[in-house]
Amino acid sequence: MKNQILNNDVVDDCELWAEMKAGDEKAFSTLFKRYYSYLIQYGNSFSPHSEKIQDCVQDVFTDIWVYRNSLSDTVVVKAYLLSCVRKRIVRLQQRDKVFNKAKSVDAIAFLFDFSVEHQLISDELTAGKVAHLNKLLNVLPARQKEALYLRYHHGLNVDQIAGVLNVNYQSANNLLHRALVNIRKEWKGNMALLLMLLAHWI
Amino acid sequence: MKERNQYREIEDFLADESFRLWMRSKKDLSGWEEWTLEHPKRAKLVEEARLWLLAMKVPDNNMSQEKLNAALQSTWMKIEKTEQESKMELKLIQLWSTAWVRKIAAVLVFGLLSVYVYNNYFASKTYYSSYDEIVNNLDEDGLLEQINNSNKPQIVTLSDGSSVLLQPKSKLSYPKIFTGNERNVYLSGEAFFEISKNPKKPFFVHANEIVTKVVGTSFRIKAYANQSNVEVLVRTGKVKVKSEKAIRNSSQEEIVLLPNQALRFTRKDQTFDKITDITMDKSISSSVKSIEQLSFEFTDIPVSQIFKTIEQAYSVEIDFPQQELEKCHLTTSLSDQPLPEKLKIICKSIGNNSSYTMNGNQITILSKGCN
Repeated sequence: MKNQILNNDVVDDCELWAEMKAGDEKAFSTLFKRYYSYLIQYGNSFSPHSEKIQDCVQDVFTDIWVYRNSLSDTVVVKAYLLSCVRKRIVRLQQRDKVFNKAKSVDAIAFLFDFSVEHQLISDELTAGKVAHLNKLLNVLPARQKEALYLRYHHGLNVDQIAGVLNVNYQSANNLLHRALVNIRKEWKGNMALLLMLLAHWI
Repeated sequence: MKERNQYREIEDFLADESFRLWMRSKKDLSGWEEWTLEHPKRAKLVEEARLWLLAMKVPDNNMSQEKLNAALQSTWMKIEKTEQESKMELKLIQLWSTAWVRKIAAVLVFGLLSVYVYNNYFASKTYYSSYDEIVNNLDEDGLLEQINNSNKPQIVTLSDGSSVLLQPKSKLSYPKIFTGNERNVYLSGEAFFEISKNPKKPFFVHANEIVTKVVGTSFRIKAYANQSNVEVLVRTGKVKVKSEKAIRNSSQEEIVLLPNQALRFTRKDQTFDKITDITMDKSISSSVKSIEQLSFEFTDIPVSQIFKTIEQAYSVEIDFPQQELEKCHLTTSLSDQPLPEKLKIICKSIGNNSSYTMNGNQITILSKGCN
């Protein structure tokens, strides 16, 4: 019951995937429309060349359709697509030095910044806390940030994140864990200071 | 997944899809609000998790429907293009799977392979043609050819007075008269050359893939068509050796040989191996022929003895008036002279208008005794 929305999506995805594999163009279009903008956003967080990213994501879909017969039957579509896009960007970057100057294969950097949900914040105290937390989040190492993004925005599990980032389960888990622990440690310290200041002010 | 009653860390909340939905869009499908209020400790955790989510906003994907459709359309176009390309590939594959195409390909591959193997391992015949090719191409110039099918060496005298001692199973092509600024001869097999000096008209011996350039000297070349090496051994004077290829490419790569130096040319990889001390090289020193060992330094030696040495060296027969020349002794150095020159010098030394005639292997000395 609790994960109704998510589960619904997944079941739906699986069905669409199967239909698409059987050659249903409608199912392909539905999947495309469902995930295209997500993938563009994810891709854009690696590179400022949005045209290339569009090409890249469209190529991923092209390959999926053309080689649909040799694709696995059981995939978590979202995680699979994210991973395809990331791999393709890495490959593109290796080939194209202008794209972004990176040294190693996995060195494409996640340049995305989290923003603050201003509309849902009514009081100043919360606003201050959130702003601070947001700052801490955005200075995290790129990979930790990417892991958080995949986990809490796209709802991937640790296994799927490991797949997308091309690391083992333990490394993916560490990335997530370290990000949270680091932030919490710093945040707690600063929070005490903030509260003291506020108390004094009152 | 854990029951939410067991959530102890904010991660637990953050990972909960329905919690995220409640926080972000106020859609409380799972009664989160009620559940939170049940317990004050929960409320604290929930509040912290809320802060995290508020700080982790990802902008909405507000891509317009038009843009999305345009992207989908261009993807379909890409698909069409790719499919056409792969159809072409498929056609090629189908063509390939047709039996006769594969048969032809197999025959071609086999053919090329056998040509390659033939050239590399059974190449004696192709080497052979290099002499024939050259000689046939030059036939218009009126080349003479001497082939030694006997088991004894044969003497060949050239128009410039040079002499060539042709070994069995060898052949030499040479012009009747040397014209132009060069003297060119073509050898297949083994021969000992004694070249008359003429710096204005260098002498070239083409043997298999190498060219030996001389001015005036004596040397031996061993260039059998069916042997993998070509050898040049110098007895007197100086020669320069180049490969035919180097001449065609007008490359400067040449080897200079001095007396008692030799050279071995490996035909397969077209490389030169210079041997500065021929006594160290068994295969060359053991094959040194009698002519190269005989000394032509004569000090007060009877003429009959000198003729005997020449007969032995050149496998010729010398007919001379024994009685008239019985008491003639000569002191002379003939090492560096071709046969006709040797004979001329001897006749001159004997004096009295002595002369010689040469007819193949038969030499006749006409003399009325010495001075």
